[in-house]
Amino acid sequence: MITLHNISKSYSGYQAIQSVSLSIEKGEIHGIIGASGAGKSTLLRLMNLLESPDDGDVVVNHQMLTNLNSKQLRQARKSIGMIFQHFNLVANKTVYDNVAASLELAKFPKKGRRSRVEECLHFVGLESYMDKYPAQLSGGQKQRVAIARALANNPQVLLCDEPTSSLDPNTSAEILTVLQNINRSFGVTIVIVSHEMDVIKSICNRVTVMSEGQVYDTVSIQPRGIGMMNNSPKFFVDQLTKDGDVGHA
Amino acid sequence: MVGVSIAAAVFVGLPVGTLLFLCRKGQIYENPVVFSVLNLLVNIIRSFPFLLLVVFLIPFTRMLIGTAIGTTAATVPLSIIAIAHYSRLVEQSLLDVPKGVMEAAIAMGASVRQVIFKFLYVEARSGLVLGLTTSIISFISYSTIMGVVGGGGIGDFAIRYGYQQFKTDLMMYMIIIMVILVQLIQFTGTTVSRMIDKR
Repeated sequence: MITLHNISKSYSGYQAIQSVSLSIEKGEIHGIIGASGAGKSTLLRLMNLLESPDDGDVVVNHQMLTNLNSKQLRQARKSIGMIFQHFNLVANKTVYDNVAASLELAKFPKKGRRSRVEECLHFVGLESYMDKYPAQLSGGQKQRVAIARALANNPQVLLCDEPTSSLDPNTSAEILTVLQNINRSFGVTIVIVSHEMDVIKSICNRVTVMSEGQVYDTVSIQPRGIGMMNNSPKFFVDQLTKDGDVGHA
Repeated sequence: MVGVSIAAAVFVGLPVGTLLFLCRKGQIYENPVVFSVLNLLVNIIRSFPFLLLVVFLIPFTRMLIGTAIGTTAATVPLSIIAIAHYSRLVEQSLLDVPKGVMEAAIAMGASVRQVIFKFLYVEARSGLVLGLTTSIISFISYSTIMGVVGGGGIGDFAIRYGYQQFKTDLMMYMIIIMVILVQLIQFTGTTVSRMIDKR
């Protein structure tokens, strides 16, 4: 589904990605993990050419993105969804308008827009929040709106840049469940960049480990499932005191 | 006079400010040459004491509309300062838009035009309105100087009849009218900007 061939990228002398080749199969949930600065986000952003490579080819859905002109590239991007760590919703648009914006860009027929937006918001469980503004939502809800927005045009691929990194563990689990449902229900190929091992282990089939701008290794794993974290105050106290003999203050 | 300068601010200043923003380092139209030229031009125009700008522009005004005297002629320097003034404020408002919003738009396949109209301006709209409010108040202040080239206007009136003919009460009335006018404009601008700000 996604093939990177000998990709290199540098920023003002700093080599962020060094001749990376990677192939991601249709229908998989592919994780990319690594330390900060290992180049994992850059690698993801090369997959829809948000960053253009200095060298090498990017092929997504049988299209060589690196050969397209800007109009063709914009067209290709409409079937590559993307979500971000900080959600990147338009704060001055309602939830409805945020999702509708991506349909508008793709020239989705006006008549079907409303029902398509409702359908997407229903999928992420936010159909009753249509008229709210992002500022009125929690982080997890914002990310779900962003997912609905990315889903609206029936993408083949969903790129996720640290999708759960600014969310608490329970909300993260919710988001991961939504992502897994998208993969199962629509067969969307998902790429997740994260520095959190739990996130990667819970839903990925294959994982690429990045280090210093290069692929260290790519391994196939059995997704361990999304564990709900216990969020009760008692659990926190138990965890905090179980190894030590610290008493109550 | 002020009406024309507001139109100049919106129809020329807004695009110029947007271009200034888009040509900055790291933005979609990154272009050091265009940015430096525009930036320098805006700075130069804004660094003129306005009275000197009016005098300096007399040959240009004459070339443009045939005369440098009168109300129509007065709109030329006013429009030029209006463009420079508002474009800088536009640039600042656009800089407040989180970079990720534009990035998301580009990732969704938006063209530059769509990024500007459907994302940038939507997100920056309250700042754009506040900036325009500030600008309009400055234009009113600038317009009072236009008496020197026969531009007329309330400032000219206050000086000529109030100050020079020792009708201090007339001058005071003019000042009071100006104060009320500015208050009204600021109040309207602030209210509108607050109403459309959902961030």
